Amino acid sequence: MLKVTGLTRTFRSGDQDVHALDNVNFEIADGEFTSIIGKSGSGKSTLLSQLGALDKPTQGSIEVNGKDVTRMHDHALIRYRSETIGFIFQSYNLVPNLTAVENVMLPMECVGMRKKERKQRAQLLLDQVGLDEAKQKRKPGKLSGGEQQRVAVARALANKPGLILADEPTGNLDTQTGDMIFKMLYDLSQSHNTTVVIVTHDLGIAKKADRIFQLQDGKLQERFI
Amino acid sequence: MSPITRGIRNAFRNITRTISIVFILGLSIGLSLVMLVANQAVDTKIKKTLSSIGNVISVQPAGFMGTSSVNNALTTSDVDKLETIPDVKDITSNLVDHVQTEGTTSQPGGTPAPGSKVLGSDDSASTGSTTSLKTPYEIDCEKGTCAGGGISLMIKTPDGSAPKLPANFSTPIDFVGTDNPANAKSINASKLSMVSGKAVDPVKDSNDTMVSSDMANKNNLKVGSTFTAYGNTLTVVGIFDSDTQIGDSSVILSLSAAQRLTKQTDTVTGVTVTADSLENLSSVTSAVKQEMDEKADVTSSQDEASEALAPLKTVKKISSYSLIGSAGAGAIIILLTMIMIVRERKREIGVVKAIGASNLRIVFQFLFEALTLTTLGALVGMGIGLLAGAPVTSTLVSNSTDGVSVSGSGMPIPGLDNIGDIQAAVGWPILLYGFAAALLIAAVGSVLAAGLIAKVRPSEVLRSE
Repeated sequence: MLKVTGLTRTFRSGDQDVHALDNVNFEIADGEFTSIIGKSGSGKSTLLSQLGALDKPTQGSIEVNGKDVTRMHDHALIRYRSETIGFIFQSYNLVPNLTAVENVMLPMECVGMRKKERKQRAQLLLDQVGLDEAKQKRKPGKLSGGEQQRVAVARALANKPGLILADEPTGNLDTQTGDMIFKMLYDLSQSHNTTVVIVTHDLGIAKKADRIFQLQDGKLQERFI
Repeated sequence: MSPITRGIRNAFRNITRTISIVFILGLSIGLSLVMLVANQAVDTKIKKTLSSIGNVISVQPAGFMGTSSVNNALTTSDVDKLETIPDVKDITSNLVDHVQTEGTTSQPGGTPAPGSKVLGSDDSASTGSTTSLKTPYEIDCEKGTCAGGGISLMIKTPDGSAPKLPANFSTPIDFVGTDNPANAKSINASKLSMVSGKAVDPVKDSNDTMVSSDMANKNNLKVGSTFTAYGNTLTVVGIFDSDTQIGDSSVILSLSAAQRLTKQTDTVTGVTVTADSLENLSSVTSAVKQEMDEKADVTSSQDEASEALAPLKTVKKISSYSLIGSAGAGAIIILLTMIMIVRERKREIGVVKAIGASNLRIVFQFLFEALTLTTLGALVGMGIGLLAGAPVTSTLVSNSTDGVSVSGSGMPIPGLDNIGDIQAAVGWPILLYGFAAALLIAAVGSVLAAGLIAKVRPSEVLRSE
């Protein structure tokens, strides 16, 4: 269960305070697939940063399975990010000099998993996202955008996270590949019972989610389509 | 893959850059090693020279050396005063007399050059006595200078050609009366070892003498042989070897015997004071100077050596500064490199943090990247050090010591005759230093990088999406 209460994030811009998030409240049940839509600059990425504990809020709380993330100390935050969260980025953000398998193994290293297990699980996940064995040994530069995003999805699932946060995961892909990645993410979240929060401005993609939220000027509203 | 493996692999992400960094770093570490080699070689030479010269102080009647008018010889009561000085380990008193071989002259003819040393009957250290002994060394002349037996004479000739000495020319023989026949300093040497027979009894007033093996060979002497001097028959009781020609040209006898034979009762022409340690040498020298006042010239071995060692000390100073400079340059190179790399991979660091890596894990990875670069640089540097260490040291030393006089007060100072001869070698300790320096440089270089890594906020990754 993800529960966000009174979440506010204010940035100082010159002499003015800018409310990137303004008293945001929502709840998402375990295993729900949720999309957040909004225009550029509406606060989508800021919200994702807060949920992923990459940034501290100005006010409010984020409870994940009953624990308030905003009150966690640094070590607990590192554990939270490595064990509870899986991140997928628009531009994949794979480490360029590591192979696909090694990129997927990276988060598992952070939780102290043994090398042999890491490799087995990384290969299994890459199989699940449909990357063949030969491509698993390639570095990101030798993979297409769609293939890189598959690796990113596999990496996000590496530590069996309870919450996957995806920032425009199909933004850099053509429609066909984007649909395929979305479907794969949806299916995997269902099979792994993982909560997914996906940020997008593609209404077509957003509509396929279980729930849709819209962010406008830092305020969040649920949309029922 | 561990942070260590990733760090090592990351060092080769950009091969061209890696080669450039390793090359520059190698030059810096290499220069640092070369300077260390030079520094250590020169330092060893200075220490060795100082230790071979010893912690002795030479006390001679004022103006005794290089002039011919000394009327204020020291007395045994002067020596007694020196015995009260603290930190004095030993005092050796000598009475030196230049004795001419029968039927020879030490007057070279011609005009002695200014400052030249003239030996003979008008010499302050000569009683005008003669001996049946012949000096073991010949005098050779070329272009204004005649030299042999540790003595050199500068003689002016009208056309600057080699001086011609009289047919019966011979340098006088030093008869050295001493109360410590085992002290090599008495005969201007740093080593004295018995070859056969025994040393003369220092307190016994007898006609017993010690001669060098060269002197014995020249005069067909062996232990028990006799020769004449001062109109007396003297007996060889021991044969020695020293490390200087001037030492081997000397005859050693007891101080009391020398005083009796030269009819200079209670007189000494030189005193050698030995301090109990190098540390106390300076204070003992000052105390001796104060005690002797203007009556004697007081020179410590270190004073005499310092002028000759000055070029080496300069080389040591230059190499020390260069060592610090090159090691510092290495640290700055790796520091800037790591800052550049961290800034370049800011986004990647943010991503790795976002997926759960701690600052420590990331810093560890960058530390190993820096270590890989510096280790490669150290290997290149060690190669440079091995190849250039000895030649550079030799060039530095020879450039600095060329034309430097090592004759101190006019007499050769044992141990300073080969001041520019330095053995520089790159040994294991130097190579280990090179490696340790590389580790230190990597650590220094990673410190600021670590600070930058800690400041990278993972949220920046999303913001720049």
